[in-house]
Amino acid sequence: MAQTINTEVTRTDARRKVTGAAHYAADFTPAGMLHGALATSRIAVGTLTGIDTAKAEAEPGVVAVFTHANLPDYKTVKGIYSGGPGSASFWPMEGTAIKYAGQPIAYVVAETAAAARRGAQLVEASYEEGEAHIAMDPAQSFIVGAEGDGEGMTLTKGDIAAGLAEAAQSVDVEYVTPFQHHNPMEMFAATAEWRGDRLTVWMPSQSVRTLRHGISAAYGLPETAVRVISPFVGGAFGSKAGITPYTMLTIAAAKAVGAPVRLIVTRQQMYTVATFRPESVQRFRLGADASGRLTAFEHVEIAQTSQFDEVVNPGTHMTRSMYASPNIHTEQRLARSDTNSGGFMRAPNEMQTFFGLEQAMDELALKLGMDPVELRRVNDTDRHPVAGVPFSSRSLMECFDAAKASFGWADRNAEPGSMTDGDWLVGYGCATATYPTNISPSAARVRMQATGHAFVELAAHDVGTGSYTIMAQIAAARLGLPVEACDVVMGEAHLPLAPISGGSTTAASAGSAVHLACLAVGAEVARQVSAMSEGPFAGVDPAQITLEDGMLRGPGGKSQPLVEALASTPRGEATAEGQYRHPALTDEALRRTYQGGYGVAGPVTPEMAMFAFGAEFAEVRVHRWTHEIRVPRLHGAFAAGTWLNRKTAHSQLMGGMVWGIGSALLEVTELDHTRARFLNANIAEYLIPVNADVREIRVEMLEEQDDYVNPLGVKGIGELGIVGTAAAIANAIHHATGKRLRRLPMRMSDLV
Amino acid sequence: MDNFAFFRPTSVAEAIDLASGDQKRDFLAGGTTMVDLMKLAVQRPGGLVDITGIKELESYEIGPGRLRFGALARMAVVADDADLREACPALTEALWKAASPQLRNVARLGGNILQRTRCPYFRDTAYTQCNKRDPGSGCAALEGGVTSLHAILGGSEHCVAMYPGDWAQALIAFDAEVRTRGPGGSRTIPFADLHVLPGDSPEVETILEKGEIIISIEVPVVPAMRASHYLKARDRESYAFASASAAVGLELDGETVKDARIALGGVASVPWRAGAAEEVLRGRTFSEALAREAGRAAFADATPLEHSAYKIPLGADVVAGALMTAHARARAGAKGED
Repeated sequence: MAQTINTEVTRTDARRKVTGAAHYAADFTPAGMLHGALATSRIAVGTLTGIDTAKAEAEPGVVAVFTHANLPDYKTVKGIYSGGPGSASFWPMEGTAIKYAGQPIAYVVAETAAAARRGAQLVEASYEEGEAHIAMDPAQSFIVGAEGDGEGMTLTKGDIAAGLAEAAQSVDVEYVTPFQHHNPMEMFAATAEWRGDRLTVWMPSQSVRTLRHGISAAYGLPETAVRVISPFVGGAFGSKAGITPYTMLTIAAAKAVGAPVRLIVTRQQMYTVATFRPESVQRFRLGADASGRLTAFEHVEIAQTSQFDEVVNPGTHMTRSMYASPNIHTEQRLARSDTNSGGFMRAPNEMQTFFGLEQAMDELALKLGMDPVELRRVNDTDRHPVAGVPFSSRSLMECFDAAKASFGWADRNAEPGSMTDGDWLVGYGCATATYPTNISPSAARVRMQATGHAFVELAAHDVGTGSYTIMAQIAAARLGLPVEACDVVMGEAHLPLAPISGGSTTAASAGSAVHLACLAVGAEVARQVSAMSEGPFAGVDPAQITLEDGMLRGPGGKSQPLVEALASTPRGEATAEGQYRHPALTDEALRRTYQGGYGVAGPVTPEMAMFAFGAEFAEVRVHRWTHEIRVPRLHGAFAAGTWLNRKTAHSQLMGGMVWGIGSALLEVTELDHTRARFLNANIAEYLIPVNADVREIRVEMLEEQDDYVNPLGVKGIGELGIVGTAAAIANAIHHATGKRLRRLPMRMSDLV
Repeated sequence: MDNFAFFRPTSVAEAIDLASGDQKRDFLAGGTTMVDLMKLAVQRPGGLVDITGIKELESYEIGPGRLRFGALARMAVVADDADLREACPALTEALWKAASPQLRNVARLGGNILQRTRCPYFRDTAYTQCNKRDPGSGCAALEGGVTSLHAILGGSEHCVAMYPGDWAQALIAFDAEVRTRGPGGSRTIPFADLHVLPGDSPEVETILEKGEIIISIEVPVVPAMRASHYLKARDRESYAFASASAAVGLELDGETVKDARIALGGVASVPWRAGAAEEVLRGRTFSEALAREAGRAAFADATPLEHSAYKIPLGADVVAGALMTAHARARAGAKGED
């Protein structure tokens, strides 16, 4: 049997995707379906004093116009940051309160999508307008959570003042990151169909179980009465995890008009009806002795939140896990402003905070006169700086050494502004990448048939990353079948539980469940063949039979391919479920996951700290005349346990680095402070990298063995690639120009 | 989007007839701006007169004394023309650096020069103040808005929307003319007169009259064209509007500047000829210092807005950098002739 894990396997769904045969949620059209459209609020804060729907209702094709005044049986749920499944705790159209610009105020149902949108444009609203602030005021920030050790939101270990006092060099710096939006290529969409008390929802989702649990609870329906279907997702990045107003409004509208309804949210509305990356300020005070060893590590993160949720993505938990220091102080703070609630966006705790930390380390290295790579080396640690437990594996410096060599760091003249090429100033910079290994509980069901085929079923999601392919690879490896003989079914809530596709959990967690389900199929077949009157395992204690890469093996060297053993049984098929739970997962986290929430073991367990690591090196060029900043080369080396699929893993890491170029140089949701609105809510003016911005990206994938994280030894990599990119580019800009840019995105206007 | 009547004339006369009179009808060519603005409910024509069926307007000629571009020639086709690249690199480069390949395949030259502003307050009807969209309603940009993408040259107290196009800068630098036909007959308009400053009526963007159609754009050939360059500064390498751009051309006599052409993009309300900067150069010996002096002169009269002060030093550097390239091209051309 050919090896299928740790090889390059082309996506099993590639052909379907490029030929249009892959059906995304909005491709399903139930019979008699109508179309929805949202009208949204012009103002940010105030009260709806009147809403006139007469013109909209008179528009040909319009079937109904719903507002807060006339939408029957509209249900809402609690927000994620209040322990619920919703994208936010405040729900529009429950009343007349307006709490953010772009808040839905009316829902139009029509016979065509065009008529629905036209109707939405004809809804006329009047408001009593209140004072609104779209940006946070860091001076008004408040501290989140209780002080504690380990998992505490705020943490003090040792004495920062003493650590700074003994430092040979120190830095006290502040970095600023903007609002950003996910902008997945696939638009937000929801289709709802009621048949009596049974409901089907088609919606691109990172968590079909969250949707089903929340919707059924809101409507008081058994979960068996609610189907949620999301076979493919055209990018999510954190934006498709919660239950949003557009989902619940569509469900209520479909019920009210007695026909299925589909809503496709417009690109502009996507900026306000769901979540985003909140803006932040990152304050660092670092002190080091003459050898570079940290004597003090302080990080205060101030992040924006809405008036109605406390959106906490604790980035300080990641930065304080990074380098050894006897004195550590971190604070997690929030400041409110008048927006919808933010959420998580690819590397939610890490992108902003490592833009700060890894520049602060660079600034410290300059003060110390040290090579930035060596500063990371002297502060590397095999124990978690706070919890004191060992890392289950940590290959940080192996990554630095590999990327340093491939990049040609030795050619760097350390003097800022010293390297040029024609009209271009040239700079080199580097930064650390890390991502926590979050391990969720998961289940999977495998049905194997004597024909040599297997069905693998689980409620996981392929958000464009290759999850279908890796699940097939795992099953193929365990069952001894070709990858293409393993048919993976995912993206439906009635399948066995799999985690939210967030926090880079799916490969490690759901993959482990598939692994266990396959072993359980082996055990089932072993039971059947041991009970038969003939065959190699007749009469053998089934507990003595194991499945190893497609072979059943028993005492005395007895062995038989699993598929042959299965063929010898009268049923000719075997079905089993695998239930995976990391030993360190608490009952509470397990319960939360089965109730549609996010429950994980790690990254710090009582025994171990689980993180993946990487190092990124950037070459930046700044044009002498135009001041344009370009990134001709980006090299990253990463270690994250077992590589399941070297091709899709490479794409994930490379995609993360491209995403990092965007964060570094382009992405920002502009704010109109006077009107408290997001200004550039479209992908013409919200800049993301195009092909021409992405030149040479080299990804090196190091081997690493980790027997603690899960049975497959896998660490999630969906977000790892982005984490060091912006800081590596910032450090390279400083090296090229001598200018330190501490605010994202970094643009030519900062360099004139 | 509103419902609208749709017409497909096959002759210029028919098109003019359909678009004249009282009806709320507009011409439609590639539609890359128009359809966008209709979806946003910023433009709400009652009828569209699709002129792309008038095949005679698609041709163009790169002649020895004159360049003539039919109004319906596609941006992508003209951008690929090798003779144009040799005759006037700035005209080619300005097309290449505009939009994306997909848009250039669809967009036509006549429509391109009439491209409307990207001012976010104009494009989003949720902002109630926009004198261009709704005359007399005010200007959200000037009244506490974000002005980083707005004009620092040519704006008025009523409107600081920026003209976003690229090709127009190369046209105005080389004294192009626009041939039109309308209900009142044919006329030739100097390109510099086509667009009008916002003043107190920013809703009026050109001197074109109702039903008047652009037939062609013509450019007299001058020596400075061969040593020309279009330099566009933008944060994104491709598919982005200019933060600042310059179309320049030089004619040298030895190292003395005989003729200089400079036009500015990304900074002004309309396509912008920088005559004062050209004067700095004419008759003087070219040097990097002189290029920088010309760059500064181009922005001597600029009015920085709250968020657009960076455009003054950036624009000056872009002009200087473009002149350096044009100078190198002029030197290479002179060598070639030796």
